[in-house]
Amino acid sequence: MTTSLSRIALSALIALLAGGAFVAFVGSATVVSLLTQAIIYAVFALGVGLLLRQNGLVSFGHAAFFGSAGYSVAVLLETQAVPAEAAIVLTLLGVTAVSFLLGLVFVRVPGIAFGMLTLAVGQMLFLTASRSRGLTGGADGMNINWPNTLFGVSTSALTEPHAMFALCWAALVLTMVALALLLRGRFGAITEAVRDNEERARFIGIRTLLPRAAVFALSGGVTALAGVLAALNTGFVSPENLHWSVSGVALMMVVVGGQGALWGPPLGAVVYFVLKDVLGGYADHWMAIFGAALIATIVFSPRGLVGALQRLVRRRAATPAVLPATPRGAVHH
Amino acid sequence: MLTINVFNGLVYGALLIVMCSGLALIYGLRRVVNFAHGSLYMLGAYLGYSIATYSSFWVALVAAPALMALLGICLDRFGFRLLQDRDPLTVVLVTFGLLMIIEDAVQTIWGKDNLSVPPPALLNASVDLFGTPVPAYRVGVMAIGLLVALGLTLWMRFSRAGLFVRAASTDPATTAMQGVNTDALSATVVGVGTALAGLAGVVAAPFLALSPSMSSDVLIDSFVVVVIGGLGSLSGAFVTALVLGLVQSVGAVYLPSASAILPFILMIAVLLWKPAGLAGSRT
Repeated sequence: MTTSLSRIALSALIALLAGGAFVAFVGSATVVSLLTQAIIYAVFALGVGLLLRQNGLVSFGHAAFFGSAGYSVAVLLETQAVPAEAAIVLTLLGVTAVSFLLGLVFVRVPGIAFGMLTLAVGQMLFLTASRSRGLTGGADGMNINWPNTLFGVSTSALTEPHAMFALCWAALVLTMVALALLLRGRFGAITEAVRDNEERARFIGIRTLLPRAAVFALSGGVTALAGVLAALNTGFVSPENLHWSVSGVALMMVVVGGQGALWGPPLGAVVYFVLKDVLGGYADHWMAIFGAALIATIVFSPRGLVGALQRLVRRRAATPAVLPATPRGAVHH
Repeated sequence: MLTINVFNGLVYGALLIVMCSGLALIYGLRRVVNFAHGSLYMLGAYLGYSIATYSSFWVALVAAPALMALLGICLDRFGFRLLQDRDPLTVVLVTFGLLMIIEDAVQTIWGKDNLSVPPPALLNASVDLFGTPVPAYRVGVMAIGLLVALGLTLWMRFSRAGLFVRAASTDPATTAMQGVNTDALSATVVGVGTALAGLAGVVAAPFLALSPSMSSDVLIDSFVVVVIGGLGSLSGAFVTALVLGLVQSVGAVYLPSASAILPFILMIAVLLWKPAGLAGSRT
């Protein structure tokens, strides 16, 4: 499973160049804005997918990290407690630290109950945010007062559609590179061993709680990055960002894209947004359409688009398909 | 003041009993956490609304759960049975897809506006409770919750089907080997569980408004109940449902700012202490 360093570097370089070419050649601001949103959700889905891939846990409450990152930036800027650059860094570190602490408790909860727990805690945040008065504006949400310059660049230039796309794309690619480097090392091996059989991992002397909590924290941190990008993109945060349906959509992207590869969840996000746009007038019924798509994916291609594509490539290469004895995420009792 | 809050808490607790017993039954036998359970409740409520509009509330009280039972049997036959060898998380995601489809269907058929069902004339009065007048309808809701709890307990303890369900929820493979038709059993149990979701919906309609968000509110509360009570445990769910109802309504008086998050704090505390829930050992 380990990917060589040169391959990671090459993929990243190609991806960054492709993003640059896209910005240079696509003129339509509508298309670019649509894909910017898709890329922000791709980062979000990357976070949710990381948890499923390395911990085998399905979260129905990741909107909590997405939304609270937005709120954290908004409140820090509103109170002018720290400069905007520090607000971004503090938010990312803060959400990661909080998710580590939460992870210490949550990851001990077995399988499905974990999903229910995350759903409930996420919805608790949603209720708290929509009922709160004052600074956060309750159900109406709050505007984010970005300063005129950010990291030495004028904010209006930064939030121009093409620049915003380039920023989000770079954030996605660099996050994926960082995760790929991290997971090809000891950390990846340990977390996969713990995911596949926690008891056995403990028997061979691995401390199992900390790596799992660390994955949870990392997953929360990546999702918070998506939240910060969304806050920059829209300049607005509301309880809707915390709603369980947002978590559900992110989870759907992960499943449809496929969790077998790091690029699966981001692919799911892009497919989701493009499909929703193509549906046009039928988009009122997107819930039913995507619900059916989710079920169809799980039943017919459990490894998502990644699995389907990998099968296609393998068939092209005319090598006999070699499937592992037990598929990823198989039942462990 | 406190009487009415305790009363309302118990009424909501009774509604949660009806909801959660369906959730616990389906989990017990099929090992499926049905994320669509709240949507089935909503579907039951809206079906009840339509039936009550064309005939009467009492017809709705019987017909809507009956229709939901049929739906549940189909759900088991064409859904859960085909997926029984899959990873439990996979099946959870299928029920999540189902949730999205049902939510969309309900919004398309009945619209997004709030609807209401008047309580039946027979119960449209108030009853004196320790000097406080309370709506008779809510006393009826409490009675239904108690009847469901009692009925299910007796069914599980003393019927042959109940014995099989208890056996199958401990070990489905061995139970099948002993000659129990677990597929037929499962159709019954999922049918009953879905009918209970529908019943909860019809019963809730006259005292909670019908709206597209009604499903997620009650689903979250039900999850809190079954996680605290222990997944698949009926008795755990009964007790926790009443406690949660009380915590919410009494909390609204003494800690109004924190009442929305009290159930979750309770849940986190219990999970810290017992990760498998109060009555749960099987996971």
